[in-house]
Amino acid sequence: MTGSNDAVRTAPADELRREFIEYRRTGDRKLRNALVERHVPLAEHLARRFAGRSERQDDLTQVALLGLLKAVERFEPERGLAFSTFATPTILGELKRHFRDAGWSVRMPRQLQEHVLEVTKCLGPLTQKLGRAPTISEIANETALPEESVIEAMEANRAFSATSIEAPTDDDDALAPLDALGRSEPGIERIEHEMLVTSLLDTLPQRERAIVMLRFQDGLTQSQIASRLQMSQMHVSRLLARTLARLRDIMEADEHTERALHRGRRPAP
Amino acid sequence: MEPSEIVLTIPGQPEFLRLARMAAADAASRVGLTYEEIDDLRIAVDELCFAVMGEDSAGSPLTLVYQILPGAVSVSGSSPGDGLAPVQSELSRTIVAAVVDEHELGQRDGMRCFRLLKRGSAQEANATG
Repeated sequence: MTGSNDAVRTAPADELRREFIEYRRTGDRKLRNALVERHVPLAEHLARRFAGRSERQDDLTQVALLGLLKAVERFEPERGLAFSTFATPTILGELKRHFRDAGWSVRMPRQLQEHVLEVTKCLGPLTQKLGRAPTISEIANETALPEESVIEAMEANRAFSATSIEAPTDDDDALAPLDALGRSEPGIERIEHEMLVTSLLDTLPQRERAIVMLRFQDGLTQSQIASRLQMSQMHVSRLLARTLARLRDIMEADEHTERALHRGRRPAP
Repeated sequence: MEPSEIVLTIPGQPEFLRLARMAAADAASRVGLTYEEIDDLRIAVDELCFAVMGEDSAGSPLTLVYQILPGAVSVSGSSPGDGLAPVQSELSRTIVAAVVDEHELGQRDGMRCFRLLKRGSAQEANATG
């Protein structure tokens, strides 16, 4: 039963790949427009993720469509990625750039910023002192903050990363820790196969990819990853949260496109 | 005495998941889970809430029940969602399995639902602290 479903599912994907190969070969504008048109639901879907942020939905959809157009132009079908897997980060990037250019940002209240800094600063030394990750009450004692402020700071740390999701290399420690990690991490190939998400992981910057694998496949704690990659545990936490959100966006978009293709919506004219 | 159960209902939209994560963090802090364990719990809550919400852009209400247990927190979530049974990707399953002790995702009485259990490891530390 699964086999027959798979056979039905792959048909539109193969057709799509052929169309992309044809477009790459001929540069036919009509074919390009048909490919864009076919993926409009994907752009609309991603634009909806940003709904309710003081921007009109149709403006957001326009921005997403621009991202879609760029993705169609840049897509290389021979690399073996699904188009939606490739297009999603491009479209999301366009949407986020739009907010950045429009001056939109999550402004963290100053007091909350200070709390995030205090919690971040105390985590490393406290973890060392205790020989394990501290509890919320231990952090509260150390920082003289109420426990709810520590929890708020945890959440704010994550929310803050939403503004820089497309800037994976904006930190000073972005490259050096990867050098520390090295290229011959044992078992990486095996891990990728086990996770069955090689193509998804390929869309991640190297550092984020390493963190996901160290955490979920090697079972390292955030502190251990932090120590290995020479960054703070809070930073690992932040990167992990935004990487998972990014993977989820891509997976959702893949499913969404697959369903749309299957239903034969918006067929090429 | 500590309340043993927290019930929270939020619109099933990503921007409200902050409340779900914070409630989870609060419940977990009451049983002495460590900072990292709480971060793990928040990841699992996020993943499973997304899975339960599915493609339902209308944001059907998502009801979460947090149970404060001795040394552990259990979280259950349910939503009508889009009416279809939730599907958990291999990646999502791998992630959630890595960060919580137990979890399940499915459909019951027409509701998409999940349950997870996260145990703490810092009980000794709490007792001595």
